[in-house]
Amino acid sequence: MFHLGLISFAAAMLAILIALILTVFQLFKHQTALTKPITTLASVSFGLHTLSLLTLMAMQVLQDYSISYVVSVVNSAMPTILKMTAVWGGQAGSLFFWGWTLNLVLFISLHVRRQIQDSWSFLFTALNLLFFGALSLFAENPFSRVWMTESGDILEGVFSPAAGATVYGGISGFGLNPLLRHWGMVIHPPILYLGFALFLIPFCVAISHLIRGESDEGLLGETRLWLLSGWILLTAGIALGSWWSYDVLGWGGYWAWDPVETASLLPWLTSTGLLHSLLLQKQRKIFKRFNFVLILLTYILVIFSILITRAGLLNSVHAFGESKISLPLTLLTLTLFGVSVALLAWRWRLLHSGWELTSLVTRDAAFLYTNVILISLTIVCFYGLAYPLITGAITGTQIGLDRTFFDKAATPLFILLAILMAICPISAWTVNSVRQLGKTARIPLILSILLTGVCYFFLTKSWLALLVLFIVSFGLLLMLALTLRECKSPREAAKRWWGQRARHGAWFVHAGVLLIALGIVGMEGLEASIQGTMIPGDKMPLRSYEVEFVQLTTEYENPEYLTIEAELVLWKDGKVVDKLFPGQHLYEDRGQYVSIPGKQSTLRGDFYTLLLDYNSMMGYVTIRASDNPLVNFMWIGALLMVLGAILAASVPWKSLQLGDNDQHERELPVS
Amino acid sequence: MKKTNRKTIIAVLVITVALIALLIATTRSSTQYFLTVSELQSGETDMVGRNVRMSGVVLGDTIVYDPQTLDLTFEVAQIPGDHRIIQEMGGMALVLEQAAADPSLPHITVHYNGVKPDLLKHEAQAIVSGSLDANGVFQAKELLLKCPSKYESDLPNQVGN
Repeated sequence: MFHLGLISFAAAMLAILIALILTVFQLFKHQTALTKPITTLASVSFGLHTLSLLTLMAMQVLQDYSISYVVSVVNSAMPTILKMTAVWGGQAGSLFFWGWTLNLVLFISLHVRRQIQDSWSFLFTALNLLFFGALSLFAENPFSRVWMTESGDILEGVFSPAAGATVYGGISGFGLNPLLRHWGMVIHPPILYLGFALFLIPFCVAISHLIRGESDEGLLGETRLWLLSGWILLTAGIALGSWWSYDVLGWGGYWAWDPVETASLLPWLTSTGLLHSLLLQKQRKIFKRFNFVLILLTYILVIFSILITRAGLLNSVHAFGESKISLPLTLLTLTLFGVSVALLAWRWRLLHSGWELTSLVTRDAAFLYTNVILISLTIVCFYGLAYPLITGAITGTQIGLDRTFFDKAATPLFILLAILMAICPISAWTVNSVRQLGKTARIPLILSILLTGVCYFFLTKSWLALLVLFIVSFGLLLMLALTLRECKSPREAAKRWWGQRARHGAWFVHAGVLLIALGIVGMEGLEASIQGTMIPGDKMPLRSYEVEFVQLTTEYENPEYLTIEAELVLWKDGKVVDKLFPGQHLYEDRGQYVSIPGKQSTLRGDFYTLLLDYNSMMGYVTIRASDNPLVNFMWIGALLMVLGAILAASVPWKSLQLGDNDQHERELPVS
Repeated sequence: MKKTNRKTIIAVLVITVALIALLIATTRSSTQYFLTVSELQSGETDMVGRNVRMSGVVLGDTIVYDPQTLDLTFEVAQIPGDHRIIQEMGGMALVLEQAAADPSLPHITVHYNGVKPDLLKHEAQAIVSGSLDANGVFQAKELLLKCPSKYESDLPNQVGN
């Protein structure tokens, strides 16, 4: 098994290397089209890489403890699905998996109907893939084995580290840290990785265009689907991470401005901007330079994000700890940055596009403002991340920024962004139809003011929360009103709606963001909690709820841990509404507790309970109960964002032209 | 053309200035010193009240937690702050293990009010944000814990046990 895995991995890298060399020969002959042997080699490489990945998975499932990676992430008590997905549970494995996703993306790019790779872009894709493959092979090899020397020392290495050493499989696996044994672990990392990897292709295609000195519009259409699908997976990946972190106590809630979280937000921000300005380039032939910069920057930030996660430069819950691959990763980030800057400088004149922003209140201008804010947010986040590294390099002691920095600096920008999204539907109309628009916007405006007033009296006095509530409700109501306005006859309305699905998809995405904002207001502004110690029969009130403690149970339902569970009855307005079972899993071998929250989830919000402490002798428990209103709108919003983007992606790029037939109410495809 | 250019330049300038102002204003109020236990203690007098982030190894026997009031106190001992030094010493897992066993290292009491994190245990790395009070106790506002086995166990070391 070991030999199969390692040899197929090495052969996969060799195949890519040969393909790379062939490509270089091609380029010497000034031939930019890919030849058949190159694509065949790349496909073979992907096949071998996949075989190698499956071998590693098989060794994990079969618990082959002669492989040191298997020892570190698998144990016999873990369910099979977690044994398989432990591939991305540790440093070496997840690096290997990342390399595989790059190969997957390369494979797709060579086999989709619209093939967009040429020799130059293939050269850069293969170089990126080889870089990470080499890191896996030579620095962090997941196939590294456990050896016992003649003197009884245990060592680690791919090949025999000393004469007479034998492979040793006698250590039983440690298994994944209990906090990682969660559904989030199964789906969050691969989705995020794939989202990241998809940005590689637009990057390489853009590099190729710059080298060849081509600046036609073709680039956009070719990369749009790649960017959109990367964006969709990245959005889903970040949202899943946030949900996981909320669901597991100890990860710091739904968002903590942890360096790794913040780093993954960087490419999201730039690609969001890119999706907006690509459309303007398509329809108005402006922002060409800007788009090239953003395509290149997005992938560089992906690599930067990987550097932050793996180099252990910053303290983070996610970080893999200090590692020997931080130097090569830093060099890669700097090289990509240098190459991009040099190529852009070389071709800067060629990328010139006219600047014809006629007015400051048009839709084009709104797009520009959106991008200015997104870029500002990127700068703020990057600055916050890099600040301790820079001060550390200059003064020797690291002076950093605490998370209040991000809260304070990013909140005003996010609010501006929310305002733009709320009024975005308005900007699709020209000045001619302002009156007509006023009629439609009047009702949402009045309703949202009323709603904000109600919130002021009954919910919160925080002006920040009220402001966000007002913006969110206005934006959502306006989109609803504009959609309903067209609903005279249902069938025709549906047809029109489908015809404009690019625009409505974008609205869905915006509505999703606004719903997330609503959830954040709920978590930050409207949350209430209480804790107390109870004996069976005691009740504890929180708002209109009451929590009654029934009994405490302890049992070994799983061989690895002891389950301690409190049975609670949740009352609301004097009626029983639910039973909750907050508990703790005690991993006695590790001396570690994992808290399992018990919660009642409804659209209104979550009623969230935790078992803080217990005494099984005396039969009392200490419970913390929180009422988190609106929190589930975060996950609904994220889902809406993903669905909206898929809807918009279903529109072919060609038909995203600006329609000039109707001047009074221009039917702009996306706004 | 010239007019648009000037307008664009002014707009870019205004945005840049606004952004820099935002960054400077927030940087000033959010600055945080990243210190080790001994660095914090050696500068004790002028460090009182400053916004500090400190990393140390948790001493398991000193953990006291009152679930009624959510008051949590524990001691942390000195570990190096530079990840290069940590690597030279054989990796974080080994550094934490040795530091927790060495009573001669400087240590400091940390107080935190909140739910006790699942990962708070002997030999865990605690990263605390807060400030030093006049009694020499570190009042933590934020508490982050990492076990060397958080993502994967450090194999040679664990095998050596």
